[in-house]
Amino acid sequence: MVAIDSPRTTTTDLRRRIASVPPAYWVLGILLLIIPAFASDFVMFQIMGWTFILGLIALSLMFLGGYGGMVSLAQMAFAGFAGYMVAIFGDSAISGISQGWPWWIVIPLALFLTVIFATAVGWLAVRTEGIYTIMITLAIAAAFFYFTRQNYELFNGFQGFNSVLPPELFGIDWRGPEAFYYLTMFWAVTGFGAVLYVSRAPFGLALQGVRDNPRRMAALGYNVTAHRVAAYAFAAVIAGIGGILLTWQSAQISPGTVGIQSAIDILVIAVIGGLRHPIGAFIGAFIFVLLKTFAVDVLIALGLGGERFQLLIGMGFLIIVFFSPDGLLGLWEKLKASRRRDPLTGGQR
Amino acid sequence: MRLFATRHPVWAAIIAVVAAILLWMIFAVWPDGLEDVIGRKKVFLNALFNGITLGGLYFLVASGFTLIFGLMRNVNLAHGSLYLLGGYVGYFAAEATGYWLLAFPVAFVVVGFFGILLQVLVFRRMEGEDLRQTLVTIGISIVVADLMLWGFGGDFYNITPPQWLSGPMDTFFVTAVKSSGEPVFMKYPMVRIVIFAASVVVGVAMWLALNKTRIGMMIRAGVDDRDMLSATGARIQIVFVGVFAFGAGLAGIAGVVGGTFQSIAPGEDIRFLLASLVVVIVGGMGSIPGAALGALLIGLAEQFGSVYFPTYAVVLTFLIMVVVLAFRPQGLLGRA
Amino acid sequence: MSVSATNISDRMAATGTANALELRGVSKMFGALEALGDIDMTVKPGERRAVLGSNGAGKTTLFNCITGDFPPTTGSIRFFGEDVTGFPAQERIRRGLRRTYQISLLFTGLSVIDNIYLACRGVSRGRFSLLRPRRNDALMQSAEDLVRVVHLDDVRDTMVSNLSYGQQRQLEIAMALSGAPRFILFDEPAAGLSPTERRELVDILTGLPGHVGFIIIEHDMDVALRVSDRVTMMHNGRIFKEGKPAEIEEDPEVQALYLGGGHG
Repeated sequence: MVAIDSPRTTTTDLRRRIASVPPAYWVLGILLLIIPAFASDFVMFQIMGWTFILGLIALSLMFLGGYGGMVSLAQMAFAGFAGYMVAIFGDSAISGISQGWPWWIVIPLALFLTVIFATAVGWLAVRTEGIYTIMITLAIAAAFFYFTRQNYELFNGFQGFNSVLPPELFGIDWRGPEAFYYLTMFWAVTGFGAVLYVSRAPFGLALQGVRDNPRRMAALGYNVTAHRVAAYAFAAVIAGIGGILLTWQSAQISPGTVGIQSAIDILVIAVIGGLRHPIGAFIGAFIFVLLKTFAVDVLIALGLGGERFQLLIGMGFLIIVFFSPDGLLGLWEKLKASRRRDPLTGGQR
Repeated sequence: MRLFATRHPVWAAIIAVVAAILLWMIFAVWPDGLEDVIGRKKVFLNALFNGITLGGLYFLVASGFTLIFGLMRNVNLAHGSLYLLGGYVGYFAAEATGYWLLAFPVAFVVVGFFGILLQVLVFRRMEGEDLRQTLVTIGISIVVADLMLWGFGGDFYNITPPQWLSGPMDTFFVTAVKSSGEPVFMKYPMVRIVIFAASVVVGVAMWLALNKTRIGMMIRAGVDDRDMLSATGARIQIVFVGVFAFGAGLAGIAGVVGGTFQSIAPGEDIRFLLASLVVVIVGGMGSIPGAALGALLIGLAEQFGSVYFPTYAVVLTFLIMVVVLAFRPQGLLGRA
Repeated sequence: MSVSATNISDRMAATGTANALELRGVSKMFGALEALGDIDMTVKPGERRAVLGSNGAGKTTLFNCITGDFPPTTGSIRFFGEDVTGFPAQERIRRGLRRTYQISLLFTGLSVIDNIYLACRGVSRGRFSLLRPRRNDALMQSAEDLVRVVHLDDVRDTMVSNLSYGQQRQLEIAMALSGAPRFILFDEPAAGLSPTERRELVDILTGLPGHVGFIIIEHDMDVALRVSDRVTMMHNGRIFKEGKPAEIEEDPEVQALYLGGGHG
């Protein structure tokens, strides 16, 4: 987590801060660090790497939806846009388009352009409220998908780009299972920490205020529209990092990556986990990746045929949103609350 | 109309000029110079007709969506699934009975019944929670899409219109003049014209029903003020179910039309959901005339786009949406 | 009891010669319905004014016109000498005007301290700051002080949706006091409060620093007359009497209309 404090921070202050971190985080942190010691390459690269990446993109949706009350289906488009920018300005097998610039220009540039794109989309989307947002962002995501599929000059149309690889920094192959695991984990933890941190900073608090009561926020002297658009920009950085990592993982980016199905997948992930808390995005991503990887085997074992995967995902999603709008986190909290309740009186504790 | 002209003289003038140019392009015999620039008149007229008739289809889908949203603020993102379901139901009804016309009432009833289930089992339980409605209907559309893929496979289904409707129809539009001085008249598929006429009838009937009947007044009162409607003693839940069933039934009919015009296949549900979204965003949420205008614009944009700039035809419709959102977020005919 | 968030320069500004609030010919039409008609009203800096009148007399509409929640149809509004008639709401807020709402417009998903902190932050810079406030942050300090002023220390970190009605009203007042107000509009602050809470409210209002003036709409005569220097009576969107609390209380017309009636 980013530590910003007065210069007078003392060691006791630091010790208190460390002590205030819930023990579950310690267990999880240590577990994440030592996973490469016993996990297979497949688990590290495919399962965990993919979880961290999808979690990051879903996290950007959680930030907008959970704190800002704006459920955007365009987050996958932002992620894909960043991936495309890396492919276009960096290196790929499509040498006719890719510029081959060095990574330390390409990555900041890609993120910068993603933020610009998201700001424009956000500016359009926040002109309407509530439920319109989801429809408009869905339409924009679809427009981006069709555009990438049709445009050959810049986006190389249907094929997209392949052989988009991470730079070989410090002589490490960052697509190696262990390196990629730590790379994605680093960004997932950073993104998670940043969102958690900002949620208590003026910007994040104001965003939650806008979510709860935009009219009152305006009456307090806040520019509600500007805050909403800024939230899109902030979320785009997270989605963009996720998109670049996603592009590196599969070494390619194509219209299929930013299709409507993927946009809805991100929504499913964020909602299954729970939009209330940043950790929900990663819980959702982990479940989604597990399902996506192993559901086919389970389905075949049940005699249903592997192609019924969408049905399984859809049913799971439907059940969760039908019974617990706050996702698995909401279910967990309900469970905790009912445990604490006295079985005889029904009162608390 | 006169009110609009006095209030927005510039816009009225622009619209009048565009209409005049359009009329001239439709009825006049094109001079050679024009044909050199933008191609043959036949192509233009075909795009125009295809655009208008496609607009009719979009209107059928989107009017149900906008009606449901307008009255109940229910966001039904499973609307595309209702369309696709209607297409499949219509196909099997027509195949089994041999009567194309029978496909329409069957699709209307079956999909309308499905709509009743949605309203009673889903929407009534989460009134006012639009986010939850959205999520649940997305979930339903995922599940239904896969169930239909399971049941009907990934093939394209084509509903064949009966003999008397297939084949071209002569119109009175001149596309060119032969060297002998004899005018060439345009031919256009009969079925498209008939279906378009039907969708106009549906639209006008809906408008009349909403504006001239007691139940229509009740529904419109409900759009303006939910509490007032309950206060009049109207059995609001029954009205809701009825409107939902009707809107869903329209989507089902649209499915049959779509299956006759084009074809139905997995993925068409999302395509038509998106089309409905764009149409109602452009036209204005909850407005039937808005849906008609939006449908016409989007249908025309798609067809002209595919003729004159084929690469970006799909993007063009979204561009229209973006422009409308930027300048009139409530939609062209929507209320602020 | 005092609000420590205010600073010297604000006090100086408030003691200028201009009137705190000056309404000239303000009216508000809703379609053909006249909600306010030709209101003239002058409130001096630091003055405490009660506005009384039956439901529908136009009191809340008057507040909405003053704060800019919606603009008056005709007339002008001056705030400390400056014509603010055409200003958007947030510009008036930045000039030190505050209000409370009758219906709860709080941020229900945030804690008490966060609500007050947001209210303090709204009129200062750094609304987009990505950095958390330090513990010795001035705005955080004034937010903490306000929590104490309205006796919400015990529920400082409780989510607002879990507060009692009375506590929510207290919080509403704390938010109106945030960020160095010069003039506050209280819209029925005592409605729904218990007798104890009402006493606390009177203490808070009478304990405000001398330069902070306010207008209070209140049905509870006891509260209204105890905290105010002058009283304005409204009826059907118009002012029909203005005077000292004692004069108003003894006015036969007023007594006939309001004080004798069943409405408290």
